[in-house]
Amino acid sequence: MARMTPGHNERGELFSAYLDGELTRDEVALVGDMLDGDEDAIAEFHAIREVRATLRLLPEFEVPAALLPDGHLGDRLSAYLDGELVSLEYRRVSRHLVDCPECRAELAELDRARIAVRSLPGVDTGMTGEIPVLPARKRRRGLIAGGIAATAAAAVLVLGLGIGGADAPVYSLDDLAARHVARASAEPASAVLPAMIEVSAP
Amino acid sequence: MFSQLWGSMTEEFKPTWEDVAQRYGRKIYNFAYRLTGNPDDAADLVQEVLLRVRRGLSSYEPGSFDGWLWRITRNAFLDGVRKKQRRPESALPEGDHIMLGASPSPDEVLASVRLSDDVQSALLKLPYEFREAVVLCDVVGLTYDEIAQAADVPVGTVRSRIHRGRKMLREMLTWPV
Repeated sequence: MARMTPGHNERGELFSAYLDGELTRDEVALVGDMLDGDEDAIAEFHAIREVRATLRLLPEFEVPAALLPDGHLGDRLSAYLDGELVSLEYRRVSRHLVDCPECRAELAELDRARIAVRSLPGVDTGMTGEIPVLPARKRRRGLIAGGIAATAAAAVLVLGLGIGGADAPVYSLDDLAARHVARASAEPASAVLPAMIEVSAP
Repeated sequence: MFSQLWGSMTEEFKPTWEDVAQRYGRKIYNFAYRLTGNPDDAADLVQEVLLRVRRGLSSYEPGSFDGWLWRITRNAFLDGVRKKQRRPESALPEGDHIMLGASPSPDEVLASVRLSDDVQSALLKLPYEFREAVVLCDVVGLTYDEIAQAADVPVGTVRSRIHRGRKMLREMLTWPV
């Protein structure tokens, strides 16, 4: 280890910070004075500059591509279909869809799957009269689970398996199934997709 | 760095985690690689940081993005080190296969490869706070202010750590004449 005096340490620190462009105007002037004709100081300055340059010339590693997102929309597509994106993200997703045929194709497929689940026919349970169903669930969900959970909840409604609270609204099973099929057939994939992209165009 | 760019945009603008991954993934990977000397640990860190960024972005207030991001990165790194220390078989690599102070190879290319191996191995011998300060400054390219925010210490401490880190490296990397 080289000998160290407080003076040397302070001087080296100033040189180091000078090279990093982190000194005040006064300190820069001080460094100039220190280097003026002092061979020891000049040698120390060069040594620090050399080690700094060596560190900065270390080769940069390429980050493995698998660690980074692929630039496509992924689980945001389902959230987009379910209207679960907040405005800023909605606009970004819409903009990406305009330019990316891959994501558009995936969106269309997801939409078909979503509609297929939503179009499941009601099952006759043999029950008569009226059954209680759960009030509408709160819409805030995680992005990934959102679409699946929402469609699963819809299926449960149709099957009449919901367990209602005391104040849950009451629907007749036939009425519920009819309304559901009507809604599903009113929004086929081909109709939904272009409309959404059109809305998004700036 | 990018915070200036983002800072100048509308108030509404916030980066998504994909933005962060694309712009900073490489820097985070190199930070971790230089700190650990190990590609697997570096990859683990990138994943952990991106996860934390994804969870934390909603609470990020526009300001010094670099300070925020590198504090997350640093905490994730230190948490990872602590976890490993509880498993004794996988200590941080020491780089003991490298002979510090060996004569430079006559072959220029080999010599330069060996030089970066030597620098890496010397970095691993620095006490953590000095290694961190030097890597954030010279590998990642942060300002002293940003490093101070990331490490949660005063700027004067950063300045001193960077200098002392470089000084220790210089002593380790001097080849005998």
